[in-house]
Amino acid sequence: MTNPALNTLDRHHPQAWREAVRAGMPTLFGIAAWGLVVGVAMVKSGLSVPQALAMTLLVFAGSAQLAALPLIATGAPISVIFLTAVVVNLRFVIFAALLAPHFAHLPWRQRLMLGYVSGDLAVALFLQKYPDAAPQAGKLSYLKGLIYPNWSAWQVGSIIGIFVGSTVPPEWGLGFAGTLAIVCVMIPLVAGVPALCGVLVAGAVAVAGFGLPYKLGLLVAVVVGMLAAMLVESCVTQLRGRHV
Amino acid sequence: MSDLEIWIVIGALVLATATARSSLWLIGHHINIPKRVQDLLRYAPACALAAIIGPDLVLSPAGQVVLDLSNIKLLSGIAATLYYLLRRNMLETIIFGMACFTALRVWIG
Repeated sequence: MTNPALNTLDRHHPQAWREAVRAGMPTLFGIAAWGLVVGVAMVKSGLSVPQALAMTLLVFAGSAQLAALPLIATGAPISVIFLTAVVVNLRFVIFAALLAPHFAHLPWRQRLMLGYVSGDLAVALFLQKYPDAAPQAGKLSYLKGLIYPNWSAWQVGSIIGIFVGSTVPPEWGLGFAGTLAIVCVMIPLVAGVPALCGVLVAGAVAVAGFGLPYKLGLLVAVVVGMLAAMLVESCVTQLRGRHV
Repeated sequence: MSDLEIWIVIGALVLATATARSSLWLIGHHINIPKRVQDLLRYAPACALAAIIGPDLVLSPAGQVVLDLSNIKLLSGIAATLYYLLRRNMLETIIFGMACFTALRVWIG
């Protein structure tokens, strides 16, 4: 894009950058800890140190990585692991729909990278500060001030986890920390009765279908859980409608 | 899984993440996701995460459903869930859950 007005708006804006770093600071320790857990879980599920390092540096998606690890450990087909990672990442499609209009004028390579490293926290904090998609000076610097420290904290935690994880005895059960971390990611997503029903149904179907070939139980569980949530949602809406 | 397969998986994860995160950044300003689809997408991640941890919490290594007090992962998982609901802090929850798990493991095992 060669619009000079927009280029000026995207110039480095020290004040917006500092503000973003300050806004994201309190979350960095938690991000590093979460990275540490994923780093440990990666080597505990059989990845070599170079593979774990490559995964953390290239994938940068904690919940999708954690979701993939038990599947790698049990030798699930690659197609199933891919689909699982897509499903776990689906929330980012909505985030991207909210965030992308702010930066639609940037070159495509930059948009690709910005989208790739915009985690949950960056999206939430950015939209708090800039609810409106209209161009504004400092926006790009603000986003970068959120995502660069976030990315760095994640990688530092994760890399420490990879090297620490390979020295811890297996009977300590450190892999269980990954399950606990998923619990913490999942709970905030369970807002309301329909989502709770969906989660319970998905968990139960996954247990019932655990023995199915190709880990199909997992994907069936996601679909049945989603449909259960939608069904409960429409029932709740109808009930509300009747009482109004 | 062989070394090569794990490398392919890493590639697949890069692709999955890029598809979910970046595709709308590249083409998104032309697309409006219908409300109904947004609602469905909203439930997908939570359901997927539940489907991943469900078997780990409930099944024994032999694949049997264990819902009694001998299942220390389930007990620690429930304790950690309650802790997170009260405190909303991931780091503390993981430490608390691992402490429960370790205490039960040493005590029972």
